[in-house]
Formats: sequence, C-alpha cells, structure tokens
Amino acid sequence: MTAVPATAGRAELFRALGAVAGDPADARTACAALGLPVPGQAEHTEVFVLNCPPYAAVYLGAEGRLGGEAADRAAGFWRAIGVAPPAEPDHLTALLSLYARLGEAAAGALAPPTAGALTRARQALFWEHLWPWLPGYLDAVDDLGTPALGPWARLARRAMAAERAHHPGGRLPLALRAAPALGTEPAGMGALLEVLTTPVRSGFVLTRRALAAAAAEVGAGHRIGERRFTLRALLEQAPVPTLGWLSGEVSRWSARQSRGPAGDIVQAWWAARAARTGQFLAAEQATR
Amino acid sequence: MGSPQDSSLDELGRRVSAARAAVEARGETFYQGASRVHLAAFPPKERWDDWVELSSRAWPAREERHYMLVPTTCFNCESACGLLAYVDRDTGQVRKFEGNPEHPGSRGRNCAKGPATINQVTDPDRILYPMKRSGPRGGGGWERISWDEALDALAARIRAALTEGRHNEVMVHLGRPGEDGYTERVLASWGVDGHNSHTNVCSSGGRTGFQFWMGIDRPSPDHAHAKVIYLISAHLESGHYFNPHAQRITQARQNGAKVIVLDTRLSNTATHADYWLSPQPGSEAAINLAIANHLIQARAYDREFVRRWWNWAEYLTECHPGVPVTFEAFEGILAGLYAEYTFEFAAAEAGLDAGVLAEVAGVVAGAGHRFSCHSWRSAAAGNLGGWQVSRTLFLVAALLGAVATEGGTFPNAWNKFVPRPIHVPPHPGVWQELSWPPEYPLAQNEMSYLLPHFLADGRGRLDTYFIRVYNPVWTNPDGLSWMEALCDQDKVGCFVALTPTWSESAWFADYVLPMGHSSERHDTHSYEQYDGQWVAFRQPVLRAARSRLGAPVSDTREVNPGEVWEENEFWIELSWRIDPDGSLGIRRYHESRERPGEKLSVDEYYGWMFSHSVPGLRERAAAEGLAPLEWMRRYGAFEISRGQGAVHEQEVPEAELAEVSVSPLGRVYSAAPPAASPNIVPTGAPSPDETGRRAAGVMIDGVVRRGFPTPSGRLEFWSSTLAAWGWPEHALPGYIRSHVHPSQLAEGHVVLLSTFRLPTQIHTRSANAKWLDELAHTNPVWIHPGDAARFGVGRTGDLVRVETEIGHFVAKAWITEGIRPGVVACSHHMGRWRLDGAPRGAGAMMATVGLSRGDEGWRMERRAPAGPYSSADPDSQRIWWTDTGVHQNLTFAVHPDPISGMHCWHQAVRVRPAAAGDRDGDIAVDTGRARQVYRDWLALARPAGQVSPDGTRRPGWLMRPLKPAAAAFALPAADRDPS
Repeated sequence: MTAVPATAGRAELFRALGAVAGDPADARTACAALGLPVPGQAEHTEVFVLNCPPYAAVYLGAEGRLGGEAADRAAGFWRAIGVAPPAEPDHLTALLSLYARLGEAAAGALAPPTAGALTRARQALFWEHLWPWLPGYLDAVDDLGTPALGPWARLARRAMAAERAHHPGGRLPLALRAAPALGTEPAGMGALLEVLTTPVRSGFVLTRRALAAAAAEVGAGHRIGERRFTLRALLEQAPVPTLGWLSGEVSRWSARQSRGPAGDIVQAWWAARAARTGQFLAAEQATR
Repeated sequence: MGSPQDSSLDELGRRVSAARAAVEARGETFYQGASRVHLAAFPPKERWDDWVELSSRAWPAREERHYMLVPTTCFNCESACGLLAYVDRDTGQVRKFEGNPEHPGSRGRNCAKGPATINQVTDPDRILYPMKRSGPRGGGGWERISWDEALDALAARIRAALTEGRHNEVMVHLGRPGEDGYTERVLASWGVDGHNSHTNVCSSGGRTGFQFWMGIDRPSPDHAHAKVIYLISAHLESGHYFNPHAQRITQARQNGAKVIVLDTRLSNTATHADYWLSPQPGSEAAINLAIANHLIQARAYDREFVRRWWNWAEYLTECHPGVPVTFEAFEGILAGLYAEYTFEFAAAEAGLDAGVLAEVAGVVAGAGHRFSCHSWRSAAAGNLGGWQVSRTLFLVAALLGAVATEGGTFPNAWNKFVPRPIHVPPHPGVWQELSWPPEYPLAQNEMSYLLPHFLADGRGRLDTYFIRVYNPVWTNPDGLSWMEALCDQDKVGCFVALTPTWSESAWFADYVLPMGHSSERHDTHSYEQYDGQWVAFRQPVLRAARSRLGAPVSDTREVNPGEVWEENEFWIELSWRIDPDGSLGIRRYHESRERPGEKLSVDEYYGWMFSHSVPGLRERAAAEGLAPLEWMRRYGAFEISRGQGAVHEQEVPEAELAEVSVSPLGRVYSAAPPAASPNIVPTGAPSPDETGRRAAGVMIDGVVRRGFPTPSGRLEFWSSTLAAWGWPEHALPGYIRSHVHPSQLAEGHVVLLSTFRLPTQIHTRSANAKWLDELAHTNPVWIHPGDAARFGVGRTGDLVRVETEIGHFVAKAWITEGIRPGVVACSHHMGRWRLDGAPRGAGAMMATVGLSRGDEGWRMERRAPAGPYSSADPDSQRIWWTDTGVHQNLTFAVHPDPISGMHCWHQAVRVRPAAAGDRDGDIAVDTGRARQVYRDWLALARPAGQVSPDGTRRPGWLMRPLKPAAAAFALPAADRDPS
C-alpha cells in the first residue's frame, strides 16, 4: 500500500498553484494567499498568453501546439477515472485541480481499495501528465524573469520536486515514449523550425521572449510574429550567430535538466534530447 | 516522515486553505474565475449583476452579451433544484437557465429538465390569457375574458357555497405541489377541507411504510456518506430526486460505496449498481425480510439501538402477555418471527438465486450504520400491500441502527425546513368524505383517484373544482371515468383549470386560467437531500431583475408573458373577492400586517417569512447589507443548518417539562408547551394523554429524549395503530402477496409494470419542453425475447395489443433482455392526445385522436400523429418524430390498497400481436367494467365504522394534509357500526 502523501492542505497548495495559471483574478487571489508577489494583468498575459501557454499539449505534443493527440491523451485520462473531461483537459489549472481533488478523495475514501485506486490514479496523473512537462515549463517561466510569476514558478518547481519524491515513477511516460525521434538532420529550414519550436522534439522551450533576447544578442532585426517566423528571420539574417545562440541555449537546458532528481528517467530524457539537439546545431553551425 | 521541505509546503497549503475558508465563510467566492479550478463552470456570484458571455451565434465575431443572473427554483419535478435565469440586460428577456451553485441541495447541477425550462417559457402553444368556455363542456369553444371577470365569477360561486354551508363542494386538486403548504393554508382560511392531491397515485404506499415506523412519512437517505446504498426502484434514474440524490450517490461510489438496486427492469440506475436484482414484481418485501432474517440469525444487528429505540416492550405487552417484558425475551421471539424468510424462500418468491441474495445480505450486514436506503414508488406503488415494501426496508435500517446516522437514513422532517408564514389559519371544521372516505381510515393521502366513482355513487357533488397544474384525465387510472365525471355538470358544477398549458383535462374545463412556470411564480420549497436543512425560493425572475434595476413590480402579471399570473397573488385576490368586507373571517388571512385593511403583497408575505422564520438568514443578509427578502431574491436558497444528526437522541430540556407523567411504556407527557419553532414541517402528531398533556418525549434509560412522533415515541416495530384499526395481522413488518403474485395470475397473464419514468420527462408537466420531447417521446412495451416468441411477436417495432381487465391498448414492442421473462413494462409520460379540433397543447407530444362511445364502451383511435407544424417557434417545423406512444393509464381500473389507499399500479395483462386494423396508440375501455373492478377492490376495505376503536374517522396522530379540527374527526352516527 502506498501512503497518501498529500494532506488536505497540500491539496489546496496545488489547487492554488494551478489557479495562478488560470484566470488573472484567481491568480491574484492565489498569489496573495501563497504569500507571493501579486501579478498584474500585463505580467499574467506576458507569461501565460504570450510566452508560456500552460497547456501540456504544447510541451508534449509532436506538433508543439494546442490540442492534438497530446490533449486527447489528457482527456482520456479524465475519462479513464470516470470524470468528464473539461473543455481544456490539459490546462495546468485543470490538471492541478484534478491532482488536488484526487488527493482529497484518496484521503477521504472509506474503503482501503478505493483509497488505493485513487492514489494510483493520482500517481498516474502525476507521472504521465504533470511531471513529463512541468519542470521544463516552470523553468521556462522562471527564465522570463517577471517579478511575480518567477517566484511562483520556483515555488511550483519546488512543490513538484517534493511531490516527485512520493511517487514511485516507473516506465518512461507515454508522451515521451511516443515523441518523434530527432533525425540525423532536419530536412530543410521548415523542418528545422518545427523541431526547434516543439519542446518534445528539441528538448528545450523556446519562448518569444528568448527569441527577442537572441535577436539583441546576435545583432539581428527582431521581426515580430509567431515564433517560427521570428526564428526564420534570425536564421536568414544571421545564421551562424543564431545557431550559436541556439546551441548555447540547448546546452544550458540540457545541463539544467541533468541536475534533476538522481535517477529520474524523465529529466534524463529531456537532458538527452536537448543534448542531441545541441549536437545537431553544432554540426549545422560547422557546415556554414 | 515528511522532509522539512514537505513541512514548509504543507504549512503553505494550510495558509491557502485558511484563506479560502475565511473568504467562503463570508459567502464570497475564493476562486472567482471560470471553471478550471472548480472543475465546473459557475459564474461567481459577485458578477451576477453583469455577467458577460460571448454570443455563440455571432461567432467568429466577438459579440458580448450582458446578463443579470437571477435565481429561481425548478418547477418540473419535486426536488426543487436551483436554477439561474440568464436575463439579457439589453432585451429584458430570459435567454437560458443553468444551475444555481448557491443551492445547497443541487449544488449547481441540474438534470435535463432544469435548463429545458426555457422551452416551457417560450412554448408557442402555452396559454397566455384567461379563457371561459363558450358552448358545451368539452365542445372546444372558448372566449378570452379578463382576470376580473374570472375572479368575480369564481368568488361569487365559492362565497355562495360557504355561506350556504356547502363547504365540501369546493375542492382544489393539486398535481406535484412544488411548494410547502401555501395552497393548504388558503383552503384552511376558507374553512374548507378541500385539498386534494395526486399522492395516492404516486408515493403514498412508500410513505405508509415509513410513517408506521417513525411517524414521519419520508426517508432522507444520507447517500453521500453511505457504505451501502440500497434502492428499490430506479430511483437514481427516474425518481424525482434524480439530481440531488444522484450526485450524492455518485459521490459515495467514488468513495467505494456499494450500490444495490432492486428493479425488475434494467434501468439506468441498475446499470450502475454493484448488485442488480431483478425480482418478480411484488416479491421485494420478501427479499427485505430475508436480509432482515439474516441480520437477526447472525446477530449482526445493533442490539443496543434495537433495545433503546424499538417499541419491543409494547409489542411484548400487547401480543405476548405471558412473556416477561425483557429485551432478551424479545430477542428470542424476534429470532423466530422471520425464520421462515430464508434466502431460499425469498429466492423462490422473487425468482432469483438464493446465493446471490445471501451475498447481498452479507454486503448489507457489513454496512453498519452507513446504510442508506430508499423506496418511493415502484414496488410500493405497484402492489397490493406495497406499503410493506418500505416498512420491511426500514426494518433492515432499524436493525442496523442506521437511523439518523452519518451515511444512514433519516426521517425527512429532520432534514427539511418549512418556515412559518405570516398568517396561519385554523384547521377547518369540516371533513371532506370525497377525499377521505370512511372505507379508508388509514389512507396515507386523499383517495383522489376514486373521485369519479364517489361522484357516481352519489356521495356528493362539487360546486367548484380547481385543478392546479394537474391533469387528472391523463394521470389517473381509469381516465375515461374522470372524463365522464368532469363532463357532467350535475356532478361538477364549475371546473377550473389553473395551468400553464393545454392538457387532456383542461379541454373539459369551464375556465382555463394561465399560471406561470418556474421563472414566473413565487413559492418556497425545502427538501430532504442530505443531513441538513435548507429553504429555496422560486420567484418571477423578471420581477426580481426589475427590482435590482430599481423598478420594483407589485403585480407579477406585469412581467409575465401575456396575462400569465402566479398562484400566490391569484389566491390572495380571490380570497378578498370571496370575503370583500371580511365578514366571513377569510380576508384577515390575506391582509397586510404593515398596512391593516390592505391586501397582503407577496413581498410582505415572503419578507415576513424570511425575516422571522428562517434562522440565520437575517444575519447572513445583514452581513451583505441586504434585507432577508433581497438576499433570497439575489441568491435563491439558504442553508439553515447542516448535520442535524440524531434528533431523537436529544434530551428534552427542563423548560419543556412540567407536570410530567410517564406511561408504563415510557411515553413522557408534559403540561409545558413545546419550544417555539419557526419550522412547521409536517410530522405525526401523537395524541395527548387523558389529561391533555402533550407527548413531549420518551424515557430512554432514565433520560427523557425527543424520540419519534409516534404514539409510543419509539420506532414502531409493532404498530398499535394498525392493530387497533382492524389490521392486527399486518401490525409487524411483513410480506403481503401482491395482486399480481404468480398465484393470482390466470393462464396467459403476465405482469405489466407501468410505474417507471424516462429520465428526461416528468409526466405531462414537461411535455412542452421541445428539447425533452426530442430526447424522449415514446413508450414501447418492453418484452423479453422469450416472451416475444411465446406471444408471436417477431420484431421490435411490431404492434402488440395489451389487454387489461377493462380494455386494451395498442403499442409498439421493444424486444429486450432488459426485462425479466414473464413481465412486460411500459413507461408513463407518453401517449399524450388531443381531440380533433382541440388546441394543440403539447405540440411535439400530442397525437390527434378520435374518441367515441359505443355498446362496448369507449374507443380512442389515432387520427394523426405528432408532426411538424407552423408556430412562432421555427423548431416546431423540425419535429422529425411521429411516434408519441400510448396512453396506457386509460385502460387501468382503480386498485385501492385497503390500508395505505395507494393505487396499486401493476396490472395482470395478456399480450398478443395487434389485430387487423389496430393502430399504434389505439385504446378501448369499458367504464362499466371499471365500475365493477372499483367495487371489487372497495370490498377489501375495512371501514372506520367497523374498526374505529374510538368513534373517530381516522387515527388523530397520523399525518394528513390540511388536517381538520379535532371535532371533525368524529364519525357521523350513520357511519358507526351498531355492533
């Protein structure tokens, strides 16, 4: 029998952490209750709308977009435990609310088999739908360096790491097993852009803010648009410096993921994938 | 052991929990955003004045719609779920209805019937203006009249009846009331015992079994916390409490509760059960007794609870005079009382496997105090002696001690709150024998469905007969006898239909007066749905919206469509016109206290009630700077208390005990008055002692406790009432073989179940909801494949003729393994009809029929099915179905249970392929034969004149709607048995 790690208070912690990524009004309420700086509307938009949309599908999907198979997989989890999936089943707020709810239900279950089943469901949610993307996602939010949501990301990262210690883990999560393998070399600019803007393929999260910083660093014009457009412009204007900047970025990500919990196959997977992307970029840079 | 990091995170979590609790304690919403946090979508109440949604029809343009959200209560079924009306701030019209998250019972969730209220409000076929018949009754001629004309005419008739001493010629017959006692008090103010209800074709069988145990006629199962949930019938799916109970059953299942369902039919509930038992109809009590016997033989019952709370001492004293009155002696007798109810016996009666019954009994035994159970209609409403189904069910709960425990079953009165109103008129001084005839002294409710027969017997006549959101021709068995009575002006002088819609009955009325739907009327309502008490407020939402915008309305007709009114204002106005100068003593009960001599307004009526009779509401409202009425208009429901617990265990305070006497069996009487309570929820009313001291409690181990409102103050395992009133053989929980027991069936007979519902309809009340009609519009006859082969019915959809004792109906077959062999089933709700030339009524659900009477009785033939038609609603052109089922109730004779008075719905029928020329929905009925069946069942009764032990018509302590004054209980000399 696995112990139920979350107290009712811990459940509320995860609900509150999740609420920050949802409605801006809830973010203010939750941050205040958590003792964190309260984000303004603009900061909330900057983080959750413009840079780090809080949907699992963006980070685990083969296309790096909203919806698709990754979102369906999350919806399937809701259905599997007998709960009708909400409109956005892979949204961070919904997933953490569900995680909190399962913790409360397991703690309140009368029958040991029920408590056991709820605990297993909660573990599966954590292992398959939260842990595979949240550490990297929260690092990406932290990298944005905003005054209120940076501390939120670090607290959430700490809470997730603490929770990880209570979950046994197991086989590599399905989303990562199913992630497309990186080929020896992407065929052409379009494919390269797809890989670099799809976290589960590249192993790192490339935000709009990061691209703006890249433009400044490599001395190229920052052309405003969606990330692929911006990145294409950078690569076309200054291919070698941009590839160099990207190599440095993936190295940083790979190193950071390598510092995850010892023996954690998920973090190791992300580190390896970023490292592989780094190798590819280096090779690409060498050909220019 | 958690790490220091864990501790700090837990501490942080606790801080958030505390912050959330503090905010919610103020009645505010912590997470105000839409759905993701709560995993549900409710607009936070802080934004109800201006809630913005994007128009789905304008997509992809982002067109904002601004709504004012105004709460009300659903008026479709009885569970009184909360609704939120979305009032468009630009147009002032209701756009839609969703759930009210502030409602403690429904918690924001609704079944399909709630949101479909918008269909009823916008129904193009609804009645918008008062109308008076022109031409012969039932002839189809109508003229629009003013409300003044209708009120003056009715007031004159009623005033004449009252001043001439013809009080019993005025009657108001209600369908599902949807309110707590308002109409009863109107009639009491008139001094009339004229309240009639549909309960004896509904739940009175179930109620009887509970009442004889605990003096309260409804159970309140705490499903959410149960370990084992035991349901007789498809309650979750098709009972009234679909939503508030269902959501709590689901909650319990998530916590690992086991669900046991007894239902001959594979209902939706049965499909969710851990144990589905499909018994032979009528054998349910035998199964309950086998489980009880297992608990007794295995000594798996709560001995201490039984010793303290059962009236075993009274039973021993009265029935075993030679036996010492000790609990051990009782246990010895108890061990033998039910010994014959073995699993093998029950299995043989029910046609089930004895091993399965033993397994189920083991699960029940393991429930302990967390055993919640419910039985309402189904078996209790289907069988002769059906009331013993709920009595034996409660026996199981009472053995387990699962009474008023967490996860157990409560008396409903402890989980219900009926606030005392501004005026409470006295009990009427007359007795209405057309509703409470001497043959049925123990009837739980009015013998409503026998009214046509009593009128035909010449027992009385009605001068003015109101039906109120009720359709007796369609709802009752033997509806054509109703039609005959309602068409006879010698029997019914003036027939008034208070109704939102046309119906089979309204067609025969003299006046048709339009009444509002749930968003167009005022009522208060409370129901047992968990261990707590709440009161909900139904209100005309446009009136409330106008008031919020600073434009108060004093007459609901100003905001309702056409001239649709609400009952409260209608009854107040009518009462004033009956007694314009106050000389009859009626007017004062409808008069303002704030402005003596003026009419009571609904604002004052409910304002007074919410200010004076709902504990905690005044303070709650004041915290938001609102008056109690304003608060209720804003939020729609208020939870008064939670966790009532075991009220029977409460010690009676010293202040309520004076000049105490204690009966030999422990009943405690006191000369002190009871503590004043604003809750006037109905319960049994145990008689005072011979000196007039009231029954105040019961002595349990030397302590005076509240006990139960029964004669003994305890749970009545043995009913002194049944024993004294002519039925000693049924004074204990027992098994009465049904009128459809296999031993009663003739060759070729099978049992027809007709009591079940489809989840998205609620009798005729919901038939004007187009969404619901599209979901469910027909009622085929369920036939097991083996039976179909035997009957010669080849395929689903083939027509069959189902022959009852007074006629037959023709319907489509549905061949399914979801029904037990030897039993067929047909849902009610369906088979709506209108005569050629009649108003459309429920357009999507009514077939056009021809009705004729010949030598062999009545024949109803389908002339045209439902289909598309032109109306103000373009959807009426999109009706794609034609099959609207069959009105089977017309072919059922009346079957009054001699004790409970419940109509026993199950039928012994023959099923055969339809004859040449038969069409779907055809009916044939011999009302002459129906009269004979009525007399046969009447002969089973034991009239008060023969059995009354004290010269009264009925035990005074039993519950009764609109109880008359004590003097009216005396049997007339003519009715007394000279022997």
